[in-house]
Amino acid sequence: MVAKGVQFIPLLMVAGMFLLFIVSGLGSKMRQTSDYGFSGSYSGRVGSGAAIASNWMSAASILGLAGLFYLKGYYAMAFVIGWTGGYVLLLVLMATQIRRFGKFTAPDFVGFRYESATARTVVALISIVISVIYCVAQFRGIALLISWLFGLEYKEAVLTGAALLVAFVVVSGTLGVIRNQRLQYFVLIIAFVLPLMFINRKLGYFWVLPQFGYGEAITTLQEQFGFFWSEPFASISLFQWLALCFTLMFGTAGLPHVLSRFYLAPSMRDARWGVVWGLFFISLIYWSAPAYGVLARLFDARAGNAFKLPDPTQADLVTLTAATQAGLPVWVVGLLVAGGMAAAFYAAGGLLQSGAAAFAYDIYPRLIRPTATDSDKVTVAKGVFLVLAGVVMAFSLNQVGLIAEIAAVAFALAGNTIFPAFLLGIWWSRTNAAGVLAGMLVGVMITISSLLLGDLVPLVKVLFPLTSSAFIGAPLVILVMIVVSLLTRPPSDEMVTFLIRDVHDTGGK
Amino acid sequence: MSDNGVKRSINIFRPLQGTMRGEVQVIALLLAACLLAVVGTQVGIWVLEESLDGFWLTELIFFNLPIHFWISGQFLPLLFIVLGLVFNLWMDRHELRRMEGTIRFRATGRKKGEVP
Repeated sequence: MVAKGVQFIPLLMVAGMFLLFIVSGLGSKMRQTSDYGFSGSYSGRVGSGAAIASNWMSAASILGLAGLFYLKGYYAMAFVIGWTGGYVLLLVLMATQIRRFGKFTAPDFVGFRYESATARTVVALISIVISVIYCVAQFRGIALLISWLFGLEYKEAVLTGAALLVAFVVVSGTLGVIRNQRLQYFVLIIAFVLPLMFINRKLGYFWVLPQFGYGEAITTLQEQFGFFWSEPFASISLFQWLALCFTLMFGTAGLPHVLSRFYLAPSMRDARWGVVWGLFFISLIYWSAPAYGVLARLFDARAGNAFKLPDPTQADLVTLTAATQAGLPVWVVGLLVAGGMAAAFYAAGGLLQSGAAAFAYDIYPRLIRPTATDSDKVTVAKGVFLVLAGVVMAFSLNQVGLIAEIAAVAFALAGNTIFPAFLLGIWWSRTNAAGVLAGMLVGVMITISSLLLGDLVPLVKVLFPLTSSAFIGAPLVILVMIVVSLLTRPPSDEMVTFLIRDVHDTGGK
Repeated sequence: MSDNGVKRSINIFRPLQGTMRGEVQVIALLLAACLLAVVGTQVGIWVLEESLDGFWLTELIFFNLPIHFWISGQFLPLLFIVLGLVFNLWMDRHELRRMEGTIRFRATGRKKGEVP
């Protein structure tokens, strides 16, 4: 859906939203400086939950999920359940314990727990790959929105988006803008739900809670256009659906930027309650996302295209299509675009920065230049940021898939590698460096097995699909970790004592 | 790490006695509920799809939505929130009890006439 010419009012809305976030970020910076040593910027469990949700929101949540509903119907529910269910795993198995470890990144955690610089480096490399894949999904969202805003072709929009993103990160970094995640969440959720309320109201549906109101669109599609949603497993089998759902769950509990949130909570109790509030705020998005997909289908049907196969390259823009086809005021459409753009920009910027930091602090001083000073590391981080942005841009030039599906590959990799490393690292003190290294390497192979061997051995594609490999992959990796750990030297007594006394609630026994 | 000559370790399947055992039991219960809910509901939806040409999936409407949309799109995320709430409330209560236990232990552990 390339628009004709520049969309001035939506463009102003986008600029306004970014300005708001930058100004509020500068305000947060000043407050944090004055509060230093007293209360910091902590704003309670609700605020912590909003920050978790804001950290989670990306183009996949705002644009991708609705596109998947529009294109594949019930199949997309696997994403809703996988992405929310993953937080239950995080809460009950990891949140408190990660907080007790007191390490700030996934490589930090693995390096410390497994007492291995090699394991730390491998996790840093995996984190960078995850960041790049996840970023490709964000770039696709950014490019689609820029293409709509400026009336550009897709490839031009990718280049423009990359330039804007780099400029944005450089300006924010130079000004020292702190990301005000709580404000961001509340602005983004309004930007996402308000247009949905408008569309429902315009169609005469129950608009106060559009998360339920859109059900009438499903009925209308059935009764007036003969379009049924009664075959949830028509396009994929129950096994494939469950494989995708559990892969996303394991991946959620293994994504480095999600895990890092728990180190920042002021106490164990806050870490736990923050997750539940975060899950509630994230669910608000996922209760709403299917509505956009269904309403876009209704507009297609009204235009006489009830059974026409939708264009997959445009599916990721259905939130926007639904809003424009409903004839909403241009400022409401602009709000939606601004929300999507902000979510994608902050997610991409954060991922690229964390990828660059993983290289500069975990790989560069260990493998390339052991004598590197802090100043060298900062310089390297800046350079790697630009390199990663270039790599992501190059991958994004070709439309390789839907936003949510590209993101799912990153989840599969995280679910096959980092999730088992954290899970066993916390819950089985016998896991050692050899075990975790063997397990993570097997996890990487499993993730890419369908690309490498899928054509030669069709069973590989069935068992380990690219987006859903962790369902069988993660348990296999755990098994490898257990076997290799048992065959090799146990971890040090100091580490076992640390796990017993400091990580688990054993009453110090 | 050695306690009466027995080497201690962390193993989720063999939790250490006391507080960790209770925590692991709650975790197992919640994860089982989560697994049962996800797999059970999808098997149920698959059975409804396979029987009578998906008749029930178009006829059963709940909160304005077809039953499978409501279960997967609304109910399961809500259930996850409730499971999280249950876990946190249990953990809070358990931490409170442990703290009370520690205070009582300190109070009774003092010798007669000993000045704190």
